[in-house]
Amino acid sequence: MAEFHKLIARLKTALESPAPSEPHAASSNSAASMPIAPSAQRVELVSGFAREFEAVRGSFLGVLSPEEAAARIASLAREVGARLVAVGEGVTLDAAVFTHALQEGGCAVERFGKLDDGERPAALERLARCDIGIAEAHYAIASTGTFAVVGAPARPNSLTLLPPISVIVVHVERLVLDLAQALGALGPDLVSAHRLSLITGPSRTADIEKRIVLGVHGPKTLYGAIIWPRNG
Amino acid sequence: MARSPAKADFFEASRKAVADHELHRKLQSASDRHLDHVDETRAEFPPFESERDTARRIKEESIAHLDELLIELRRRLEENGCSVFFAADAEQARNYIVGVAKKNGLKRAVKGKSMTTEEIGLNRALIEAGLEVTETDLGEYIVQLRGEPPSHIITPAIHLSKEDVGALFAEKLQMPYTAEPEELTAEARKRLRSAFLGADLGITGANFAIAETGTLVVVENEGNGRMSCTLPDTYVAVVGIEKVIPKLADLSHFLEILARTATGQKLTTYTNFINGPRRAGELDGPREVHVVVLDGGRSAMLADPVMREALYCIRCGACLNVCPVYRRVGGHAYGSTYPGPIGSIVSPNLFGSAAGHLPFASTLCGACRDICPVRIDIPRMLLHIRWKESEDETRAIPWPRGAARARSGVVRFARLARHPRVARMLGRIAGAFLRPFARDGFLRRMPPPFNNWTAVRDFPVPRPRVRRDTAQEADSSGRVP
Ligand code: SF4
Repeated sequence: MAEFHKLIARLKTALESPAPSEPHAASSNSAASMPIAPSAQRVELVSGFAREFEAVRGSFLGVLSPEEAAARIASLAREVGARLVAVGEGVTLDAAVFTHALQEGGCAVERFGKLDDGERPAALERLARCDIGIAEAHYAIASTGTFAVVGAPARPNSLTLLPPISVIVVHVERLVLDLAQALGALGPDLVSAHRLSLITGPSRTADIEKRIVLGVHGPKTLYGAIIWPRNG
Repeated sequence: MARSPAKADFFEASRKAVADHELHRKLQSASDRHLDHVDETRAEFPPFESERDTARRIKEESIAHLDELLIELRRRLEENGCSVFFAADAEQARNYIVGVAKKNGLKRAVKGKSMTTEEIGLNRALIEAGLEVTETDLGEYIVQLRGEPPSHIITPAIHLSKEDVGALFAEKLQMPYTAEPEELTAEARKRLRSAFLGADLGITGANFAIAETGTLVVVENEGNGRMSCTLPDTYVAVVGIEKVIPKLADLSHFLEILARTATGQKLTTYTNFINGPRRAGELDGPREVHVVVLDGGRSAMLADPVMREALYCIRCGACLNVCPVYRRVGGHAYGSTYPGPIGSIVSPNLFGSAAGHLPFASTLCGACRDICPVRIDIPRMLLHIRWKESEDETRAIPWPRGAARARSGVVRFARLARHPRVARMLGRIAGAFLRPFARDGFLRRMPPPFNNWTAVRDFPVPRPRVRRDTAQEADSSGRVP
């Protein structure tokens, strides 16, 4: 890596030149000036999330128990005439509750596990053919209406990318106020070990005369729900 | 498409662009809409100003420790299983990527939007090496079909109307003509989806590279970047050395200001974190990840205490939209991958003297400095470059003819201005003499040596009583009119 060492040497020399004349005075009031009180403000977080999520054109299904969410998703699948639905492994939830409801409603369900490299192209094709993808997020951000989705073999990242309809749920305890809190909660170890996507609304473009069109590459429709178990 | 940024034709190109009223309308409406959104989102977010300061400070510190940060970034990326290549210039970067493509026998590349790959002219190199290259960002896809470079770093097809795109798709994609953005987008989705599923090479840039975790961060709205780094078996990211930030926790400060200024969103739809090849048993992600870290003139900017500030740029594109020159002439007139105010600064550094005229393509009005999320003082740098240019004997662009004379004219004027009474008297005489030749109070043409002035702008004829500043008026005479 001779080039690398040359570059580092170049940078060292460059940095020896005097620093920019007036270094910018950073303001003293820190960025984290928003009040935080997680449990007391849970309801506020929920309503904030719902508002922001709708503002980025997500469709909010509501605050639901796992069973209610499963029923709601199954009826959604019926409404859109879905046949094949991909369900990722839960984070806090047992995804079986979704699987059962969907199967009872007559959908075929695609689940995931560890794959050999050889099986990958076929698995991707199958996932791309699914009508709906269902995933549980690690965290959700109230101030921006964002889901933080972390990938794993049984919970592929493209579950929220390839199917035209995406459903993402999150446990109410994993609702945080802002991006800084979400990144703090995820932490460096998790971020460097997994594929992480922050998802804020359905895929969109404004490339033609700045007109917003949804579903340009990823899902055209994004449903979101907050799971608040009855006894929780 | 790679484009030689090597034509000192800004003045010619801008003359044409200014005459193009349709272009003017498109640019104006697109950038106005953008600025309205930006104002709104910023106003709704009280910590915006302090986030700006924090982001600025982090950039200052990162750039000041660039050497150490790059060493750490490289180590962490390699630990995550990436191959890291440091490219001193565009050619090395291109050769490396073409080498990867050859070694793996790759045929079909999909690209997310990346100004850095535009900068190094990657597409042409890959096409020459026999690959099929598809731009997958809708705007980039459109300009690629037209055989054009992008005209804006955030919205590449900003110079086109929906009718333009409709006609283009009808011609190139053989679809029935429509000017409905919905339908045009649906057609592009269909074509590009199959390109993604069939591609063996994915290429994107990155907005940030986190040293602590060895993670690249790509922000986007469409999902094409996410596809490019998820589906193909080989993935290449091209990243400028200035993109590195120290810690994961630093990232939020940038993300809180980037989308708000770039598009007026709170966050972009997707923020993708890429940190290496897929792990055993995983469905997603490439088998090989190559990170090309590009110097390409950046270390020279680092060495210049004034220019260093340009490395803080997070490429939000806002300075383009507020720039009165950009709004008038559009991106293509600049003839560089990076147009607009920030482009006028970095282009001469990245592309050499060929872009040396761009720093002169500004009115120094300061709008770019005010909107810049990391508070880059662009006018100050433009002045600095202009000054360096004027000191440099081997300057890239010849002074306009008569510049020396113009200079001495200014010196003479300065001497004259020191004697207000004489100046006033001369002004009155000249005014009386010139007034009959004026139209609407301006002279369109004057005889030499003053034709230097009227060649590029009109000259206001002195009024019968020269109006002066009252402060100046209380001069030696003590008389106030
Ligand atoms: S100079 Fe500032 S405003 Fe212009 S693109 Fe860079 S960050 Fe944005």
